[in-house]
Amino acid sequence: MTEGTDVSCRSAAGAKADRRIAWWLVWAYPPRFRREVGLGLVDAIEDRMRARREAGASALGARVPAILDTMRNAPAEWMATLRATLGVRLKPGTTGDGNPPHEMSGFSRTSGGRTVIDKLMQDVRYALRLWKRRPGFALVALLTLALGVGANTAMFSIVNAVLLRPLPYAHADRLVVVWGRQPGNPRSLMAYREYDALRAQNHTFDELSVFLGQSVNLTGVSEPQRLLGNFITGSLFDVLSLKPERGRLFTDAESQPGRAKTVVVISHDFWERTFNKDDGAIGATLTLNGNPLTVVGVLATPFDSRTVPADGFFLGYDVYIPAGLFPVPGGLTNAGPSMLMAGRMKSGVTLSAARADFDVITKRLEISDPKSQAGRSTNLELAHETLVGDSRTGLMLLLSAVGAVLLIACVNVSNLLLARAVDRQREIALRAALGASRLAVTRQMLVEAGLLAAVSAGVGLLLGRWSLQALTWLRPPNVPIPAEIALDQSVLLFTAGIAIVVAVLCGLAPALRTSRPDVSRVLQTGFRRGSGTGGRTRDVLVVAETALSVALLAVSGLIVQSMMALQHVNVGFDTANVFTLQFRLPPAKYPKPEDIARFFKQTIERVQAVPGVQSVALVRRVPFSGNWGDTPFVVEGRTAAAGSEPRAGQNMISPDYFRAMRIPLLRGRDFTDRDDLQSPPVVVVNQTLARTIWPDDDAVGKHIKVPESPEWLTVIGVVGDAKHRTATEPALPQLYLAHYQVPLIFSSLVARTAVPPMSIANDVRRAIWSVDKDQPVWSVASLDDIVARSHGSARFLASLLAIFSGVALALAASGIYGVMSYSVTERTHEIGIRLALGASAGRVLREVVGRGLALTSVALLIGIAGAAGLGRLARGVLFGVTPGDPATLAAAAGLLALVSLAACYIPARRAARVDPVVALAEE
Amino acid sequence: MPLRSVEFHVLLALAAEERHGYGLLQEVAALTGGELQLEPGTLYRALHRMLKDGWVAESARRPAADLDDKRRRYYRLTPAGRRAASAEAERLWRLVTVARAHRLLSRA
Repeated sequence: MTEGTDVSCRSAAGAKADRRIAWWLVWAYPPRFRREVGLGLVDAIEDRMRARREAGASALGARVPAILDTMRNAPAEWMATLRATLGVRLKPGTTGDGNPPHEMSGFSRTSGGRTVIDKLMQDVRYALRLWKRRPGFALVALLTLALGVGANTAMFSIVNAVLLRPLPYAHADRLVVVWGRQPGNPRSLMAYREYDALRAQNHTFDELSVFLGQSVNLTGVSEPQRLLGNFITGSLFDVLSLKPERGRLFTDAESQPGRAKTVVVISHDFWERTFNKDDGAIGATLTLNGNPLTVVGVLATPFDSRTVPADGFFLGYDVYIPAGLFPVPGGLTNAGPSMLMAGRMKSGVTLSAARADFDVITKRLEISDPKSQAGRSTNLELAHETLVGDSRTGLMLLLSAVGAVLLIACVNVSNLLLARAVDRQREIALRAALGASRLAVTRQMLVEAGLLAAVSAGVGLLLGRWSLQALTWLRPPNVPIPAEIALDQSVLLFTAGIAIVVAVLCGLAPALRTSRPDVSRVLQTGFRRGSGTGGRTRDVLVVAETALSVALLAVSGLIVQSMMALQHVNVGFDTANVFTLQFRLPPAKYPKPEDIARFFKQTIERVQAVPGVQSVALVRRVPFSGNWGDTPFVVEGRTAAAGSEPRAGQNMISPDYFRAMRIPLLRGRDFTDRDDLQSPPVVVVNQTLARTIWPDDDAVGKHIKVPESPEWLTVIGVVGDAKHRTATEPALPQLYLAHYQVPLIFSSLVARTAVPPMSIANDVRRAIWSVDKDQPVWSVASLDDIVARSHGSARFLASLLAIFSGVALALAASGIYGVMSYSVTERTHEIGIRLALGASAGRVLREVVGRGLALTSVALLIGIAGAAGLGRLARGVLFGVTPGDPATLAAAAGLLALVSLAACYIPARRAARVDPVVALAEE
Repeated sequence: MPLRSVEFHVLLALAAEERHGYGLLQEVAALTGGELQLEPGTLYRALHRMLKDGWVAESARRPAADLDDKRRRYYRLTPAGRRAASAEAERLWRLVTVARAHRLLSRA
């Protein structure tokens, strides 16, 4: 009994489920079908399922056939409905109600007229036939559009990867970079003790960390190597939510100065490169900067770092070393601002709340330690902004440029289609007169434009991918473009959107034009083409594209001028024939300043002996190498409130540096070998510092003091100004200390050569290794290259814009030529009559050219206005030229006027040579 | 043009009496000796087409109350449907005659 009840319960439940399934299945059919026979179908499905169960089928066995049945029939019914609806709607003769014509014949039920799909397919076939008949037209149109789409796809991919996609860390929207803010420098480094205080006292951050990337020497292996090291607090791993791939990461406690453990975490790449992905790496010892460190873990890269802009900011290092091991005299806790800081805000905290929180803490710090903290506060910005903010203007400018190119391409194609539509006008009018629907012709135009758009979007996507590859090869080092740019959903959507825009832009004018032909007029003109028809539309199009090219050309001109201005900036030193390299002495091997000074002196002597070397010197920071530092200083006899002391860029150099760099010595003397640890400390200042501090007096002999030096420094010389970070920076005060008096482990070597600088590279390396065979060197480069590289992003921008505006110019020229040439062909008959009646060829020529130039001048006016707008957008990347620079605008307009004159002249000459007899005989 | 097979079978199944959906499925199977097992979706699409063409109609009448499941919908043949069915039958008959003349059909 119990068993029977159980079974019946189960089958009752099963039957209920069957009915529900039947309902669901019927939902797959079109609404009208459901309304009319849906209930019956539900019953039938249910009955069939029950019958199958009763015949012994399992629940599955009963339901699967029902589902298969629906999968076969529901789509078929949808198709039938669609065909019927569209077919009826587009065929006015059909009534659409229950008395279809086929009932008369008895059996035919498939006709019902051609459906929209049939018609569309026919239009597609027709378009393809047209293309086949005029392959030149199709090829030009497709290529033009594909280039436009391709350029847009490529640029958008970059913009997407750089500006739109979040950084690939967990909670990337809450990652914040914290800079120190002080008078004259809103983006200074942070001090470790500031980090301690901020981390302990803030209420707005989940975690804070400091870090600084610095090269480290790996020794104790077959040959000394320079590794990219990142000195970090353990909390950085938490800020970025990083995980180990093998072993473990280190904690904040293990990275504290004074208590730092001798551990190191290595990157996946380094693990692969050096340990061949061997698990034995964990526990191995790496001698870094002379300290034996135990490898405790391999960092799992949270993403493919090659797809990330500026991946080197947080990651992209070989080894992660506890911050406490950072090589700084006196220990990190006592050091001044020397680290970068980043943190992850708590969920729901805004940037301004975090700023307010930090302001309170820095104010407290300033009160408790007025000497070192005076005037210092913090400057918080989203990490994404720090990484990509500077490239925004350039990228948006490039995106607008390719957008303009695409618009011009669309206008050209639209013109081509329009010209053909006008050619067909008589045929169209005739068909309309005979009762054919105008819609059919318009639809054909739109279908052709759509087809053009679809094909060119496909080809453009491919072109875009290829050009992206080319772009990433060209990628200058200081543009944050990822090495690999993924073709993701947003890019595909963008390209699809572009295709729709292209279809509309290309198809609209011709479609509108053909949708209202003036039947009687067109037919009255007889077999000649109606003159002037479609002319207005074409004029507007040609003006639009010319205006766009002028604007683009003008902005590119501005950027190229900035680029040239950059290259011709007087940087204050002679970049030609200078060889440079960098090195860092391991502190364990060179514990005393005397040891370092000895290495310096010996190195200079040996390198001086290399053939081809004229003069050689050491310098802490090579200009334009990215290394930079500044310092506050006190002037003897003057008082300044703490925090508001004058500041100057600071560098340490050996004697002969000015000679090697050809920085002019204006007064006093250069350092000599005798300015060493035993002699009184001296300083050389630049012209700007001398002029600002002692405007009416001789700087030589004056005294200043910097924080590093307890004694007063005597100014012994004044040299010319030299740019240090960028060519665009204004002249800044700069002071030079004697490297022998402040011997730091990090330095660079510069050598002026009589031969091509890179040719001495191996000899210089050997010379250094003859002093210390374990000493790695890196950044071997000529000064020319270093300075040129700093213009990388400007050159990148300028060359891309130049390419785009060149393409735009070519497209505009062909557009103008096309329109003028078409209008001449169209007017051949009229010109023939006029020539027959005695008009001179010169007059005809002047008229045609005049019409072209009239169009061009309207376009120039609009274009110049547009250029002024675009120029404002470009303001941030301009240098040495104003956005409205009249010369540039005039040059762009002039160039376009010339091009359009040429484009008009060829058809005009053809018009002037029209043979009246032939032209009139055409009728 | 010949009538679709599904529809001809449905018309035949309705020739004798009004039927509901599942009844039609069973009758079609019976007519063909179990060879044609229509699925509900196929049947109803044919029914829907023929309803629109006016060959079949929903029946207002119901069988005796005790046999009737209230929710069932019954369908009947209209005169137009009857004409279409007989036209198709005629056509097939003519074909059968031809087939027999060519000795393609063994039975009388």
